[in-house]
Amino acid sequence: MPKSKKQHLTHLLTEYGMILVLILLGIFFSLVTLTEQRPSGKKAGLQIASIVKKRFDKDAHILITSRNLPIDQNFYDALSGSLTSAGFKHLHSVQGTPRDARAKLVELENQKIKLQVILGNQTTVDWLVFEDIKLDFPQLGSPTRIGPSPYNWPNFLKKDNLLNITNQIAVIAIIAIGMTVVIICGGIDLSVGSLIAFSAVLCCLFIQNIAGGLDANAGGMILACIAAIIITGLVGSFTGSMITAFSIPPFIVTLGVMMMASGTAYLMSGGESVYRVPDSFVWLGREASLFGIPNAVFLMMLLYSLAHIMMSRTQLGRYIYAVGGNTEAARLSGVPVKWIQLFAYTLSGLLAGLGGVVMASQLKSGAPTYGQMYELYVIAAVVVGGTSLSGGEGKIFGTLIGAFIIAVIQNGMNLMNIESYTQKVILGMVILIAVLLDKLKQKKFQTS
Amino acid sequence: MTQASAVILSCSILLLMTSGCDNTSQTAGSNNGETAEPSKSKGTIGVSLLTLKNPFFKVIGDNITAEAAKQGYKTIVLSADEDVAKQSNQVTDFIVSKVSAIVLSPCESRSIVPVIQEANAAGIPVITVDIPCNEPGVDILTQVATDNYGGGKEAGKAMIEALGEAGGKVAILHYRQAESCRLRVKGFKEVIEAHNVSASAKIDMVMELESGAAKDLGYKAAEDALQAHSDLRGVFAINDPAALGARAALEKAGKQDQVRIVGFDGQPEGKQAIKDGKIFADPIQFPDKMGIEVVKSIVAHSKGEDVEPEQLIPTSLYRQEDGLKDNSLQ
Repeated sequence: MPKSKKQHLTHLLTEYGMILVLILLGIFFSLVTLTEQRPSGKKAGLQIASIVKKRFDKDAHILITSRNLPIDQNFYDALSGSLTSAGFKHLHSVQGTPRDARAKLVELENQKIKLQVILGNQTTVDWLVFEDIKLDFPQLGSPTRIGPSPYNWPNFLKKDNLLNITNQIAVIAIIAIGMTVVIICGGIDLSVGSLIAFSAVLCCLFIQNIAGGLDANAGGMILACIAAIIITGLVGSFTGSMITAFSIPPFIVTLGVMMMASGTAYLMSGGESVYRVPDSFVWLGREASLFGIPNAVFLMMLLYSLAHIMMSRTQLGRYIYAVGGNTEAARLSGVPVKWIQLFAYTLSGLLAGLGGVVMASQLKSGAPTYGQMYELYVIAAVVVGGTSLSGGEGKIFGTLIGAFIIAVIQNGMNLMNIESYTQKVILGMVILIAVLLDKLKQKKFQTS
Repeated sequence: MTQASAVILSCSILLLMTSGCDNTSQTAGSNNGETAEPSKSKGTIGVSLLTLKNPFFKVIGDNITAEAAKQGYKTIVLSADEDVAKQSNQVTDFIVSKVSAIVLSPCESRSIVPVIQEANAAGIPVITVDIPCNEPGVDILTQVATDNYGGGKEAGKAMIEALGEAGGKVAILHYRQAESCRLRVKGFKEVIEAHNVSASAKIDMVMELESGAAKDLGYKAAEDALQAHSDLRGVFAINDPAALGARAALEKAGKQDQVRIVGFDGQPEGKQAIKDGKIFADPIQFPDKMGIEVVKSIVAHSKGEDVEPEQLIPTSLYRQEDGLKDNSLQ
């Protein structure tokens, strides 16, 4: 019995080891980024109002501070509304920058007002202009400063940050789908990083020169994106046909295409970024229209679901595994090996094109410098996700987990203030550990 | 299987170890009192620099950290590795962690616009350092940079000093992509042209070659310049690596005594070359001052004082005698 239990654990660790690593990383980063947070918005306003009601008289002079921003308006409305209805008579307010606050303090001093309390949200209460009030404005008295009460919560686990991580990884994760298929098929595609730049430049050039530049409408922009994706897909087909028709190793062909695509991106853009695109172009990369999920993330989830179905439920998927597992056996059993390989590289090209369009949208411009070294991050995501570089083995959702592991490590290290050099070392180590796990898994299959 | 679990364990241990390195973003949150006083630390400054490979930016980052610590701020200094997408991710990480200010040296001044707008919408002040962002639609508190135009003028004066009354042919090793280098060359040319009006022997700017702001391409460009003009007398290189590349080419051609070099920057390697007489002089930049000015601007903003939208740090001319007095050199 104990042995089977141990075997069970082994199975769990090897099969789902990467999920475990992701969860461990999540827990770890949550613990170390535990930081003092302050509530904001309406909640903060009401909280401060209740403190003021308890501690101060109705005729105390109160200064309410907030920034002149839409995100601060709820705070201001809740606080001043609540205090006005409670019968506080002398409410002063300033909505703006620290400079406006200083001007307001000067104004209050001229009116010979003795200020009892200054209220502010998580940002304004810390403004240095209120710090030296006793020195700078002695006439105002020594007002107390009250801000929202702090509570402890990890920066890592904030909803904004989790969405931020997913949005950051969207481009790499989308391209990694194509890379997973190519690697399962027994190949490799080094050109995807350059194809990001190629597609981003192409897409922005189409919008700028054909769809009407800054005045382009949604239809024009969608057509420009689709055209860029299809052309990048054709580059993928070219790669695939070179590999299948002339039996050149994929490493060499994609290396050549990588240089060609990058050079072409520089030529087309003249080495500069292409930026005359409408503001609404950022819809795909930066906005969220469904339940607050960023559009790029939604697209990524959709593509992963489709790819999962393709790889696990269709004949095409089984053929891809067959070609990667044993090409000769697959050919002899009637699998159209060359067509499958061509399909894999075309898919990789199309998805790299899509990744480029998403990146262009995120950055509202297309530049030939985009996507440098991305092929390596994409390959790392695939390998960390448990796909074997020798082909025939791997799971689509494993790649998604791999991409998340990389994104979580990068984001967590940024939040923890680990310097860039150390970040690289750690990322490299994680990739090595992932490959080590993969090896252990294979060993287990061989011995059992 | 103990092996697999050992691997996972060691992975988390590694991460735990690194967390001990410089984990300054944490605050000891023991303040649970009902009356919420302002927190002890004044907040965090998020810094994303073009690269940390170049010592110039490392000095900027270190000085921001040191000055911020004096003023009661914490810092996070990251390298964008010249990748604008990476920089954009770093800035969104800063926005999520609600930093007090964001300091940037943009990798690409146009592609960084959307993310600066995001910071503007979150009400976080944005400051550029060394590389400005002059695009419309962004709100930048202040842009701190070297006075490259003034520095170029100083380089021009140094060249006149180097060539003396004799004048002669001069080649410029350019790096046109960078606005800063265009300003340097503009200042340089103006001084030389003004000198030529009254001088007995003119200084003739015969060539402008692309140097890539790097040693290898600077070397090639200087070789080409010597092929075209064997009587070349001076080289103005827009930064130290290009100047050092040019020096190597001169030494190879045996013309190091005929041609004088004026560089720019004042990196340690460049200063050493000036001390050894390999480069005539450099207008040197002050990345340390830039870092300090950045933090001062953040503090002034928070105090409600006026902050100039543009702060140019003047260069100063560094000659061989400065090098001989410099204790930081060998």
